Amino acid sequence: MLELWGISKSYGDHKGASGVSLFAPSGSRTVIVGPSGSGKTTLLRLIAGFEAPDAGTITLNGRQLEGIPPHRRNIAYVAQEGALFPHMSVGDNVGFGIPRQATDRSRRVEELLEQVGLPAEFRNRRPHELSGGQQQRVALARALAQRPDLMLLDEPFSALDTGLRETMRTMVGDVLRDAGIASILVTHDQAEALAFADHLVVMRDGRVADAGPPQRLYARPADIETARFLGEAIVLASVIHGGVAKTALGDVPVLQDDAERADVLVRPEQITVAAEGNGALGRVLHRSYRGAQWRLEIECRDGGLPEPFSVDVPASLDLRPGDPVRLSVNSEAYVFPR
Amino acid sequence: MAVSADLAAAEATKVRRAAGRISHPVILGAATLTGLLSLLPLGFVVYIATTSGWGTIADLVFRPKVGGLLVNTLTLMALVLPLSAVLAVALAWLVERTDLPFAQLWSWLVIAPLALPAFVHSYAWNAFMPRFHGLGAAVLVSILAYLPFLYLPVAAQLRRLDPALEETAQSMGKRPAVVFFLVVLPQLRLAIMGGALLIGLHLLAEYGLFVLTRFDTFATAIVDQFQSAYSGPSANLLGGVLVLLCLGLLGLETGLRGTERYARVGAGAARRRGRLSLGKWRLLALLLPLIFAALSLAVPVLTLARWLWSGGAVIWRFDFIMPALGQTAMLALAGAILTTLAAVPMAWLSVRAPGRVQKILEASHSYVGALPGVIIALALVTITVQVALPLYQTVATLIFAYVLMFLPRALVGLRTSIAQAPVELERAAASLGRPPIAAIWQTTVRLAAPGAMASAALVALGITTELTGTLMLAPNGTRTLAMRFWSYTSELDFASAAPYALLMIVLSIPLVIMLHMQSDRVEQA
Amino acid sequence: MTDRLPLVIGALLALGFSNPISAQEGPIVVYNAQHETLAQEWATAFTEETGIPVIIRQGSDLEVANQILQEGANSPADVFLTENSPGMALVDKAGLFEPLPQDILDQVPAQFRPADGNWTGIAARSTVFAYNTDRLSEGDLPKTMAELAEPKWQGRWAASPSGADFQAIVAAYLVLEGDEATLKWLEGMQENAVIVRGNRAALAAANNGEVDGALIYHYYWFGDQAGTKESSGNTKLHYFGNQDPGAFVSISGGGVLKSSQHKDEALAFLRFVTGKGQDVLRDGTSFEYAVGVDHEANAALPPLAGLDAPEIDPTQLDTVKAAELMTEAGLL
Repeated sequence: MLELWGISKSYGDHKGASGVSLFAPSGSRTVIVGPSGSGKTTLLRLIAGFEAPDAGTITLNGRQLEGIPPHRRNIAYVAQEGALFPHMSVGDNVGFGIPRQATDRSRRVEELLEQVGLPAEFRNRRPHELSGGQQQRVALARALAQRPDLMLLDEPFSALDTGLRETMRTMVGDVLRDAGIASILVTHDQAEALAFADHLVVMRDGRVADAGPPQRLYARPADIETARFLGEAIVLASVIHGGVAKTALGDVPVLQDDAERADVLVRPEQITVAAEGNGALGRVLHRSYRGAQWRLEIECRDGGLPEPFSVDVPASLDLRPGDPVRLSVNSEAYVFPR
Repeated sequence: MAVSADLAAAEATKVRRAAGRISHPVILGAATLTGLLSLLPLGFVVYIATTSGWGTIADLVFRPKVGGLLVNTLTLMALVLPLSAVLAVALAWLVERTDLPFAQLWSWLVIAPLALPAFVHSYAWNAFMPRFHGLGAAVLVSILAYLPFLYLPVAAQLRRLDPALEETAQSMGKRPAVVFFLVVLPQLRLAIMGGALLIGLHLLAEYGLFVLTRFDTFATAIVDQFQSAYSGPSANLLGGVLVLLCLGLLGLETGLRGTERYARVGAGAARRRGRLSLGKWRLLALLLPLIFAALSLAVPVLTLARWLWSGGAVIWRFDFIMPALGQTAMLALAGAILTTLAAVPMAWLSVRAPGRVQKILEASHSYVGALPGVIIALALVTITVQVALPLYQTVATLIFAYVLMFLPRALVGLRTSIAQAPVELERAAASLGRPPIAAIWQTTVRLAAPGAMASAALVALGITTELTGTLMLAPNGTRTLAMRFWSYTSELDFASAAPYALLMIVLSIPLVIMLHMQSDRVEQA
Repeated sequence: MTDRLPLVIGALLALGFSNPISAQEGPIVVYNAQHETLAQEWATAFTEETGIPVIIRQGSDLEVANQILQEGANSPADVFLTENSPGMALVDKAGLFEPLPQDILDQVPAQFRPADGNWTGIAARSTVFAYNTDRLSEGDLPKTMAELAEPKWQGRWAASPSGADFQAIVAAYLVLEGDEATLKWLEGMQENAVIVRGNRAALAAANNGEVDGALIYHYYWFGDQAGTKESSGNTKLHYFGNQDPGAFVSISGGGVLKSSQHKDEALAFLRFVTGKGQDVLRDGTSFEYAVGVDHEANAALPPLAGLDAPEIDPTQLDTVKAAELMTEAGLL
């Protein structure tokens, strides 16, 4: 269990983190996500011990980390592009954290390579002979070799191509789960965050904006910015009366007491689009074909929605730019706390 | 990343193929011509060696004096190179990686000695401590004068190193000291060897420094012989030995370097790097740069100031100084431009059309810069006086010697800047209907211009303070700053020499500033 | 800039090639191995008087002599000046000197010029032993130069054997004592002497106590005494006298090249140097002896006639042999 209490760190005028508290349960896969400059990397570096916080405490499994240099924390760190030592072979890289005198060194290196899906003969290769994905695998094997209490992953997939990214993400997740090592992954990519996390922390301006299970954060975020950050969000001003919110897109069921003014979150997938019928009147601005669906860009200015939004509809629904559409919300919506 | 690496590789082959297609005979021809001209000094030495006959060689080369010179030279190398490497790494590490007070200032002061020609350093020490001479003096003054050659690449490499490497190593349980030796130092190896090679070649080539510290090397012995008999077999054969030493040093460095290229893995992100807190050692650590600056800057500057002061107005013979200044500037300018231009075809070929022919040509371009000025001058004096008399004692020959001496300096900078100019632009220009040479000239050459200017400036710095070659080749009536300085210094008229030293330093300052900024730019790139 | 670059290069190249190599008109070229300051004083005074400009190419005696030999008939040089005689003898032997007209020869007494009249003396310098007065008293001084090769002088004296000055002294020793004795003396020197580069450096070594004394020419000492005394304040001069090799007086020479395109101007220059130019030696800071007929030496110097120097015909000085022996002794 990693605990951060009231962590603050600033660089000159820039606040890297201010008063951050967060918890990463043992064995969990925590993801810290946020736009660049939100302080997520700062947190990672503070946990690793590369920098010291101005205020606050960090404990790992009950041990206070203050004053303990990085090399005594037993926290592994996988950098953005793997940071393999270019002057060492793959085998030496992986074996770097294994004591020289360990008799099973060679066997463990092979095991670790196998664990990350690389053949044993890779041990004699040089880092620059590997592809980016292979480099990341080696970096992971190297980090696993020290049997860390916690694994920190700093945007480990950001340099990879989209297809490879998913494969790597799954592989890393599996390996960490099998090894039973808790991990903290930092990313700016919300899709990656949602996919990897079982505990998600959203950072903004050096603070924790929201934290919890990813499903909860997506469906019931703490504020509008978090909602928008985690996915396409349509925020509707409304009046709530008797469990129903009156919005530009019609009446929407909500779980909320009556209120004169409330912001209601609707995700695009909650919207039903029809060529005709009831519902708010909108207009198709643009469409792009995605195979199984069309992605439509729809404006609903009459209904009081200032910004157009995107929504996917079945490929069979042949709506062209300029066509009028009818919009309605098909499930319960979430009301932001005021 | 995997795909992008593969893409890069594919791109590289494509470039190579494309370059093969547009590998212009004109460019290849120009590079070949320069390459052949570069072989002239080597050809001369080989010619001398083969025509001298064994008897002469045995008499002039295999004798105790030459053995003594060899011992001197090797001892000098064995002391200067390791000491400089340790000192340069220590200084670079303190300046770049710790919270050493005034780090920015030190980063300037450590390379500032470059503004002082080596013989000005020894002039200052000679005047400062007249009894300090021999091996000790030669080693000390060499280190002071040449350390920037090691410091610059080491500091640049330290800045360029991905901090994540060290952090990762630390997170894997290695103490900072262990991390330094296991991760940092190995990656400085190429920088250290490159710098050490440069210093080693300077040690072999330098004349003035060792005359004034009274330490005999091959270069001083060759000039002695030249002054006793002009271009005679004795000087030429000693020159042959010196060439062998230079080539040996080059070979040694190439061998040690092997095929390794510590290309940085991945593109890397610019990242803020934490500086190690020195804590209670902070003030003690300050001593190192302080002592270095005192010895390498304060001693020369104060000595110079003392001579300028005691010399008074009499030493400012403007009727001598102004022509010397003008001639020096003219030679430096012409030499710099021509050298840079001569390097362009080779630099372009190295980047755009690497291959076996290019490797051979480039080797011939590079080796010639390793030859001491005294060898190139010997070769050109002998060749012009015997077979090309119209060129004898002309500015053209002198500038040609400069081109040969400083070709690699220009090549290195140009290669880097051409590599940074995307090849696509050349193709775009070509597709827009420009003939190939024009396409290259209007895209790559334009883009590489700032780098080329930097290279040219480096060459100009070299020419401004070049002594031996200039002494031997200068046309009648040519008296450069270095020549005037040297003529006064060898008469121990330190005061009269002082204005010339001052001028050479002033001329060199902008170039040092440029070098510093260039190494800053490396960091951003 | 880049567009005009070819133009600039063209201009620079043109400039390089158009540099006068051996132009028909214009200044005379003096290949000078004398001290540059002295030659410059002569040149300046000569140009002032005649309007003929002078270009000086600086070198050392044998370097320039050999250079002239290699350049042969194509030499750009008009005049050759040296510090010592051997360089002149070398060029003379190759037959490259223009015989001098009688009026120039008459300006210099016969003892200061070779019998063939192809070149002439322009100045003279005496060998001396400059000693550190803190380390040597007059009683300890060497009586002869030969003594300096004895073991008791090991590490105690300095000299600059790589210079033409010293090689002239060795050549004199060779004339006076023969091959065998010379080689023996040189081997002793190799054992004993602290080798420096340049007479001034040798004097400085004696002055700062690094050695007891230095075998040099007299004028280095007088020049320094007249100036800052930085290199001679603690020293005095010892003249060997007694026609000892150590009392050798070396003659600086001047000659006009046969190949000169400006013979009249060149001869005028030499006429000036051996005539009016001798006043520069009397009044200037060179402290070399004037050799011109009826020309006085600098007042600070002891009279040349009183030095009791050995009599040597300058044409007899064979520095090639001297250099060979020095190489054999390991000094070169």
